[in-house]
Amino acid sequence: MQNKTSKIKDIGAKILEPVIIVALVLVFVIPILSVINISPITRQLKKLDVLGVTTQSSYVIDLVEGKHRVFTSEKLRELENKDTFEYTTNIGKRSGDRYSKPILKIRNKGAESKTFIFDGSTAVNTKSNILLNIENKSYKLQGDNGITHTQEIVVKPNSEITIFLVVESLNSIQFSEEFKMNISTK
Amino acid sequence: MSKLLRKTLRIAIWPAIIMIAAKFLGILGVSALYNLNYYIDNQVEGIYSVQICYTDPASTIFVNSMSNIIMLAMLGIPTFYLMIRTLLYQTTFQNPRTIVKITKLNLLKWITKKGTSFLQIFIWSSFLVIASTITVAHSIQGNGYSWTGQMAFVIGILAIWGTMKTYQLETDKIYPKENIYY
Repeated sequence: MQNKTSKIKDIGAKILEPVIIVALVLVFVIPILSVINISPITRQLKKLDVLGVTTQSSYVIDLVEGKHRVFTSEKLRELENKDTFEYTTNIGKRSGDRYSKPILKIRNKGAESKTFIFDGSTAVNTKSNILLNIENKSYKLQGDNGITHTQEIVVKPNSEITIFLVVESLNSIQFSEEFKMNISTK
Repeated sequence: MSKLLRKTLRIAIWPAIIMIAAKFLGILGVSALYNLNYYIDNQVEGIYSVQICYTDPASTIFVNSMSNIIMLAMLGIPTFYLMIRTLLYQTTFQNPRTIVKITKLNLLKWITKKGTSFLQIFIWSSFLVIASTITVAHSIQGNGYSWTGQMAFVIGILAIWGTMKTYQLETDKIYPKENIYY
């Protein structure tokens, strides 16, 4: 009987030994992985496709949004360096014509005039003129020759402006392009 | 089942828990003390799906360095305590002067056989060397201050030296140095 018990104990010990070896390895490995994984990292909070960006200063920039056949996937986000925003949109394929859409609303809540600097272009030149239209005034951002222009627009105190994005081309464009525009203040 | 394995496992659990807890509580403690904003992200990138994130690199480096120091201290203090105790315990056998000094300092009760096993010191210093390596790696990667890496390197070397010294004392028990006795 005693012999049988010791045999069972022996078998149990033989089974348990590899388990203990694995457990011992895990006791060393788990802290290493845990410490490496819980070590903090730097990561910016996810930028969401915001409808409007409010700054601590005296102005507000809002994305107008709305559906458009040519201008799609509009995004507005604040860049890491304060007072700089990035507006992006996809300009789809189109026949030779002039297209426009209200894209941004800028409200100057301050008591002084504020100057906004617009700098936008597409990655590929499709021989289209890209302009901003504000209160029936046009500001060219990119010419049909691909040359880009920086535009400054002054917003009067306690007033709001609506900015239209205009794209015009003589020929049909058979592929879409991404338009990117930086907005900063002076 | 091997007694050595069971004993090793039993001894290794505590430094393992202390290592994780010190790092984690260090991060939370430093963030709370210095009022640093952090957020928990759950993008699966590493082995765990939870990641502590700071929005600016300065905070990340500061918190990482401080939590590494806390982790090193929590592992280093018991390790060096065990080493010093073992060293004194073993020296008392060979050097009567040490006994006199310890008696004068009223430390005779403290110098006991308990906690002087080589296995215990070996496991604790292994964890300390691992923690030092992680700290040095963080410094090299730019995720920690360089002085924390240098400090961790010195601590790691001391831990290895202490373990070797303890091993030497253990082997001296089996193969005594002849020149001491003759």
